[in-house]
Amino acid sequence: MEKVCVLGAGSTKYGKLADSIADITTHASVAAIESAGISPKDIDASYISNVFGVADKQVHIGPVLMSRLGIPDKPSLTIESACGSGSVSFREAYANVAAGFYDCLLVTGVEKVTHTGTEWTTTYFAYCSDFFYEGQAGASFPGLFASMARAYMTEFNTTEEDFARVAVKNHDNGVLNPKAHMQKKITIDDVMNSAVVASPLKLFDCCPFSDGASSVILCSEKFAKEHGGDYVECIGSGRGGSPAALQGRDHMTTIPSTKLAAASAYKMAGITAKDVDFAEVHDCFTIAEVVDTEDLGFFEKGKGVEAVREGRTSLNSDISINPSGGLKSKGHPIGATGVGQVVEVYDQLTGNAGERTVKDAKIGLTHNFGATGASCAVHVFQSV
Amino acid sequence: MSIEEQVIENAKNGKLLTHKCTDCGYLHLSTAYFCRECGSKGFEDVLLDGVGKVATYTIITVPPAGFEKYTPYAFVVLKLDNSDLRISGFMGGIATPADLPVGTPAKITGFDERGIIIEKQ
Repeated sequence: MEKVCVLGAGSTKYGKLADSIADITTHASVAAIESAGISPKDIDASYISNVFGVADKQVHIGPVLMSRLGIPDKPSLTIESACGSGSVSFREAYANVAAGFYDCLLVTGVEKVTHTGTEWTTTYFAYCSDFFYEGQAGASFPGLFASMARAYMTEFNTTEEDFARVAVKNHDNGVLNPKAHMQKKITIDDVMNSAVVASPLKLFDCCPFSDGASSVILCSEKFAKEHGGDYVECIGSGRGGSPAALQGRDHMTTIPSTKLAAASAYKMAGITAKDVDFAEVHDCFTIAEVVDTEDLGFFEKGKGVEAVREGRTSLNSDISINPSGGLKSKGHPIGATGVGQVVEVYDQLTGNAGERTVKDAKIGLTHNFGATGASCAVHVFQSV
Repeated sequence: MSIEEQVIENAKNGKLLTHKCTDCGYLHLSTAYFCRECGSKGFEDVLLDGVGKVATYTIITVPPAGFEKYTPYAFVVLKLDNSDLRISGFMGGIATPADLPVGTPAKITGFDERGIIIEKQ
């Protein structure tokens, strides 16, 4: 297999964006191309992750992007895997470079939904569940994660304040990220006093619906060396699946696909969880980050909330979790999120993360899943 | 009748249609077409009483379209008494966690525009 590297990365700001989905897709892609110091002509193909292009009247975004980049003859593929679309897209690009099929790929994730409003997004996002059993019965995504939160509180005797601390921590990091959607500090009281969305989760336990696009240039090590510039190596790539509906899982306080993807990525990278310096994990809701950090092997099952309480996941502590601010504060443009996590890792490992830099970091991990973790991808990166 | 239609008709009678693997005996919801345990395609239909206890739930106050008039309501995962299976569904009339402690006995009572209906026993 070829060694696979990330040669460049770029993102739009996350938040409520005025530009069209085609525009923001292009803006992030151009930023990644310029970051890599390459020409669009160097790109063999593109992988685009997007879920609700229909909301901004543009599906089949790939050819539109390639046309704007002056390479309309180059192939593109759009991938949908709910909120995990970005990492799944990255994984498919990774596999093609590793196999020697392509030398240089553009991976861009994008979402543009905030103009549709809360009812539209709540309704359409619920289509990412196992609809016959869940969405049809009135389950929203906050509701499904709230069901996991209720199960976690029951099994491990934890409180709503324990989850609130995750939100406070991620906002502390997001304040340092100029691209973050919610660039402001919050307190535990802010979380506890925010409106209930799906008990026990409140508004500030939930990530926002965001617009945004993120993009990376993925290439072989040979290509990276020839083109110079900063790059990081992707040393592990893993994927996994879980029963689509929560009811199909023996335990509702763990996400099987995370464990499978992590085991596979760690094995490929030749590392264990202890070797990871920082991680961008899928904190669509506060409960999710707690479960993720346990399933990824950073903490024992049931001990994730204690780790947050003790500040062990804060920036430059035992393991910096979501230095970017995570989905909670940086924002969650669902098709872009998994790619945006790679952008953060690239910025961290190439010394471009500014005030939120994880000191002396050598190994970063990204963890991104679709729906309640029905699909998942984990990647491990190392500085060069 | 499609599998989903069979689930719906049985739910209206308080029953849950399941698929038991004829090779290894593993029990699935009837929307399974291959055995998760052994990969076999041979199933026999087993009709279970839709009774059990609440394994977990949420009370939804920001609903998807179509559920406004029922809000607040609970989305419930029910652990069946007679097997290891769980089934989720809609439960009306739940406003606070005090209304529905985990472990509350509940049962399938129907199916309509709110999907599978679950009520307290």
